[in-house]
Amino acid sequence: MGAITSMNYAFKRLIQLIPILFGITFLSFLLMYMAGSDAVTEMYSNRGVEVAQEIIDERKAALGLNLSFGEQYINWLWAMLHGDMGVSFVTGENVLKAFLRKLPATLMLTGLSIALTLLISLPCGILAAIRHDRGIDLILRFGSFMGNAMPNFFVAMLLMEFLGIQLGLLPVISSGTDFESALLPTLTLAIAMSAKYMRQVRSAVLEELGKDYVLGAKARGISDSVILWKNVMKAAMLTIMTLLALSIGSLLGGTAIVESIFMWDGVGKLAVDAINMRDYPMIQAYVMWMAIIYVLVNLVADLLYHELDPRIRLGVNGK
Amino acid sequence: MKWKKLLAATLALGISAVVMAGCGSDKAASNGEKALVIGDTTFNSSNEEPDVNPHNAYAGWACIRYGIGETLIKYSDKMELQPWLATKWENVDEFTWKFTLRDDVTFSSGRKMDAAAVKQCLEHLIANNKRAAQDLKIAAIEANGQELIIKTTEPRPALLNYLGDPYGCIIDVDAGFEQGIVAGTGPYIATDIKTDDHLVLKKNEHYWGGTPKLDKITIRTITDGNTLSSALQSGEVQAAYGMAYESYPLFKNDKYNISQISTSRCFFGKMNFDPDSVCADPAVRQAIAMGIDKENFVAKLLDGNGFPANGVFPAGPAFGGDKVKAEKFDLDGAKKVLEAAGWVDTDGDGIREKNGKKLVIKWLTYPSRQELPLLAESAQATLKEIGMQVEINNTADNNQVVKDTKAWDVYAMANVQAPTGDPEYWFTVFATSNATKNQGKYRSARLDALENQLSREFDPAKRAQLALDMQQVVLDDHAFVFCSFLKMSMISKANVKNYTSHACDYYQVTADLDVE
Repeated sequence: MGAITSMNYAFKRLIQLIPILFGITFLSFLLMYMAGSDAVTEMYSNRGVEVAQEIIDERKAALGLNLSFGEQYINWLWAMLHGDMGVSFVTGENVLKAFLRKLPATLMLTGLSIALTLLISLPCGILAAIRHDRGIDLILRFGSFMGNAMPNFFVAMLLMEFLGIQLGLLPVISSGTDFESALLPTLTLAIAMSAKYMRQVRSAVLEELGKDYVLGAKARGISDSVILWKNVMKAAMLTIMTLLALSIGSLLGGTAIVESIFMWDGVGKLAVDAINMRDYPMIQAYVMWMAIIYVLVNLVADLLYHELDPRIRLGVNGK
Repeated sequence: MKWKKLLAATLALGISAVVMAGCGSDKAASNGEKALVIGDTTFNSSNEEPDVNPHNAYAGWACIRYGIGETLIKYSDKMELQPWLATKWENVDEFTWKFTLRDDVTFSSGRKMDAAAVKQCLEHLIANNKRAAQDLKIAAIEANGQELIIKTTEPRPALLNYLGDPYGCIIDVDAGFEQGIVAGTGPYIATDIKTDDHLVLKKNEHYWGGTPKLDKITIRTITDGNTLSSALQSGEVQAAYGMAYESYPLFKNDKYNISQISTSRCFFGKMNFDPDSVCADPAVRQAIAMGIDKENFVAKLLDGNGFPANGVFPAGPAFGGDKVKAEKFDLDGAKKVLEAAGWVDTDGDGIREKNGKKLVIKWLTYPSRQELPLLAESAQATLKEIGMQVEINNTADNNQVVKDTKAWDVYAMANVQAPTGDPEYWFTVFATSNATKNQGKYRSARLDALENQLSREFDPAKRAQLALDMQQVVLDDHAFVFCSFLKMSMISKANVKNYTSHACDYYQVTADLDVE
């Protein structure tokens, strides 16, 4: 019965994806159109040499850029509904192929960043909670505050300066998707995320530690580590998992600035380049991908939440 | 207290994993070959350089810049024509040119470069590159040994200049275009390419101009200026092209070489001659020309990374520099010009009026060239001192806005004025009555007549004089105000030799490029 309910729920959520995709692709198309310029104009503008209008017009006509906004969007939508996402206005490459080619790099960066984030934020958050209001807690909270306050690009510049230029430990530009090249972008992303999660983990663990069942367990002589890992962490994981799901969603969309700074050839960098060049088909593919992963990741999180928390599954508030 | 140990162990493991992995870094690893890595912000598909095939869009720039291809004729730093793959040429008649080719050149494919190969290459070029076809206007090509005859569809005095354009790189068409890689005659051979990422070159052992000094060159596409700066400092690249101005101070020391040269990329404003525009009044145009402080703009806002402009072209060519007379920065003089024309500040708000109309200048420009918004702000400040109110429209939609002649008075833009060293291009694109980019509808019968002469004049000295006369017409009419030329800089580590900038911006990698 529970499985059927979950499937119904998932099916409804997937159906909701259809209007979302229509709406979001229309809006992004409209925004790009209103921003002015187009791929052909941008390319010739980048060169800084004027060419005959006839050449420009011919190129625009070949890409359909001479058509009205409505015609361009309908043409794109019609092709997309037939499984054709078009070709890049800039490179001429098939959009889907280009996107899929760059996706593994983003997946790798996402995986490494999440892993490193957990590696830093879980122990630090738990430590801060256990030793709350003591020296180590204050230091970790200060670190977390600093990490939250610094934007990604600033952290990237600092890491480049110290680990790349001063110490020469890590490369500042990536050479493909090898582990070494991934370290600086991973660290950059993990620092910001760890700062956020450390506080969340600390709060969640602290909240659980203050509950009666912990006191009861202690009174029964159960060891601290058993209470922490078997009871407290299990309860705290629900909060952490929700946050992680949201982060995975945004990371899978590529972290545009970090990927661009480190020349990491993922979908985030692809999106930035496409926006700069008004490469509509590529932008649309990216927007669709973002919509799909957000809906799917949240759906998976909801389903897991449903499974992990008996209070939700049984429809009671737990009190 | 087991959990404490567990926590400490996890934390230590995490941190050491990162540090240990980092310590494994060995960017200096080398197998004894002499290699160089160049970081370049411009080698990418957004610049229409997805590969090194000169017949594809603007990819010829990569072909010639990175020493893969060479043209029949090259440009000196004064943008004068010099022999390269062609040793000499002669203008048989208005429609016919005869070239003698070098006899000691082979393509990297092993094929000898003779007239038949060049004919095949040029025919493939005009069939596949519309811009080249329009520039060259080739009707027929004849090949006989090392002698090449080109017949044009109309008199084409600038044919030689166009043959020096990067699309004119001579390649072996039979060797193919796999992945956009071509077989040229240059000192380096492309072996691997990944668009928007990298290009790998190896030395051409059989190069006709001597053995190249480096075994391997890698061109890394790095679009972010700050990343390029960091990569040069960390040593991941040893030379950089396209560095952002703000990073220059980091490299002005003994550890680096900076090679700078003035290019013909110009920042200028074109006036709107529409009757409803305030610029239809000659006095307003003259006052604008006198009211822009070019020296200060270059020294302060561009931090010295440019040269103040006088006319259409920079100093160097026979038709460039201060051989023409332009208005000097003179605020008092500008005020007198405006007052004499009836532009007076009657209401004391600092802005002049005439017949109830405020002297407001709609200044259109665009953000993709970092210098243009700065120029707009500089003009806004100095023109205010003479009673003009400058309203800046800095938009990426400039190409649409400029079509509406009611929407702007001055359109400030950037352009490479003489990409092939010939002056005619600029006038036919921007200034003559039927020029394609004369959106301000400037009309000068004298300019049109001079252009008619220029289009049929083959003698270089006479062409230069005509170009000077035409510039003077444009300047006397104050139809344009030329503000500054870009100073191009290429930066390399001190041990990199002969990484030198050229006025034409083409010959970046040569056989002499070396690392000591």
